[in-house]
Amino acid sequence: MPDLLTTTQLSRRFGGTAVVLPIDLRLEQGDILGLLGPNGAGKSTILRMLSGDLAPSGGEINICGEDLLERPIQAKRFIGYLPERPPLHRDQTVDEFLWDCAHLHGLNRGQAREASAQTKRRCSLEQSGRRLIGRLSKGYQQRLGLAQAIIHNPRVIILDEPTDGLDPAQIRQVRELIQELAQQRGVILSSHILPEIEASCNRVTILQQGQGVYSGEITPPDQTCYRVALEQEQALQEITALTAVAAAEQLHTDSYRITLETGCQPSDLARQIVAMGWGLVELKAERISLEQLYIQATTGGLS
Amino acid sequence: MIPYLAWMEWRRLMRTPLAWGILGIGMCLLSWQFLATLEIFNGMQPSSRSLGLSHHLGLQLYGLASVLILITTPILTIRSFSEAFRNGSYTLLSSAPLSNFTILCGKFLGILIYQLLFTLIPLLLCLSLTIGTQLDHGLLLAASLGLFLLSGGFTAIGLYFSTLNENPGIAAAGSYGLLLLISLLDQTTDGGSFIHWLAWPSHFLDLQLGLVRISDLAYFLLLMIFFLGLALYRLDKRRSG
Repeated sequence: MPDLLTTTQLSRRFGGTAVVLPIDLRLEQGDILGLLGPNGAGKSTILRMLSGDLAPSGGEINICGEDLLERPIQAKRFIGYLPERPPLHRDQTVDEFLWDCAHLHGLNRGQAREASAQTKRRCSLEQSGRRLIGRLSKGYQQRLGLAQAIIHNPRVIILDEPTDGLDPAQIRQVRELIQELAQQRGVILSSHILPEIEASCNRVTILQQGQGVYSGEITPPDQTCYRVALEQEQALQEITALTAVAAAEQLHTDSYRITLETGCQPSDLARQIVAMGWGLVELKAERISLEQLYIQATTGGLS
Repeated sequence: MIPYLAWMEWRRLMRTPLAWGILGIGMCLLSWQFLATLEIFNGMQPSSRSLGLSHHLGLQLYGLASVLILITTPILTIRSFSEAFRNGSYTLLSSAPLSNFTILCGKFLGILIYQLLFTLIPLLLCLSLTIGTQLDHGLLLAASLGLFLLSGGFTAIGLYFSTLNENPGIAAAGSYGLLLLISLLDQTTDGGSFIHWLAWPSHFLDLQLGLVRISDLAYFLLLMIFFLGLALYRLDKRRSG
């Protein structure tokens, strides 16, 4: 499958300071690539360069076969971009704004009407068409920002903190929308919120001070690892003696991190703990893979 | 795409109370000046009238209109880039498949449509007199053309300063500084010098008196091209920042 977006040794300096060190990124159809890193790691700068808003200091950006730096107008046809601050005209209504956005991307009147209706449906803005953008709540403005990024049906969607300012129900909607969009396209999104990346993306690039410190697939959460809380403290040897337990580690006085023996289910573990009469208070899967990756990467444990 | 952008800019401008306020206040002030000019002209002895009514209107009414355009243009142009940079809405254009040239021309023409409306106010006031008297239509059209070209030049200067800074206040101050400078350049210099030529009032005066000279038209066109060129350079530089 041809790549939708590739960067080669992409870098950016502001004055004498290197904000993004040479980085290679690749996006295929169906990919949701997450840029993860602490604030100031260079995520937004990378996304601004990919959208054509900012020229890189070095390197190349290729979008659907077009060089963004050599042929920016042709390449930008394939891009939809939601920057950190949604680019909205506060004095327009939602309908007027989307109409303008569609025309700016070269859609004709008929296409614009259809695209506007479809995008409003996708972003749950059907009821807000006549409302003034300046009067919308932050969540609605964020959704409208997303709407302007996808209205022209771009093949590459670039989203900078797409769920910022949304409530939990809206975050879920946006995640589902991103999954739906990614089936026919490629999505790059940035976040400093780990669960956000874990829930949405299939690949991640971790950034630290402008440097890509890790890039690869997000490993599925390690489902052999569980957190167990008991009514009373038990000796670690007794716990490891259970047949379902491969290894155990004490976290607090009465809680443990337990790795299951291969082939064992959490129900086996629960049954054995109950059989011992230890009083099982809590048993939950530990989702630590990306977190561990992130901590290791940003503290220099990975290269 | 340039016509759509121009229409978009104009439509958004007409959404602001500012645009209507300027048109309304301009209408009041120009009407006052119009009536005052008529009053003075009527009070003159026919023997002491060295110039016709059209000349008086060209000088007094269009003179005030040019000052009003000087005052209002920077306020209109700071919205186009400076404020859009500041509130992040410029990204909508910069990430769309549009060249900087297209964006700049669209915004320039959008404001020019508005300036055309403003230019029509003194013309319509003068034409209201055609019921009772004979006017020099050529002179009034020349003065209107001059006012329109002047507003084009001022708009280009305003847009250039708008691209310079994300702070609208500084952008406006810069525009006012330059506009006042080129208004005063002919006060202290000799008639034939280049610096004297750079000042707009003498070029505008010819048109106010009904003289359409290629050199004056060229002055206003060069003013527009020069500052739009600088603005385009700034937009390109901004992307590579």
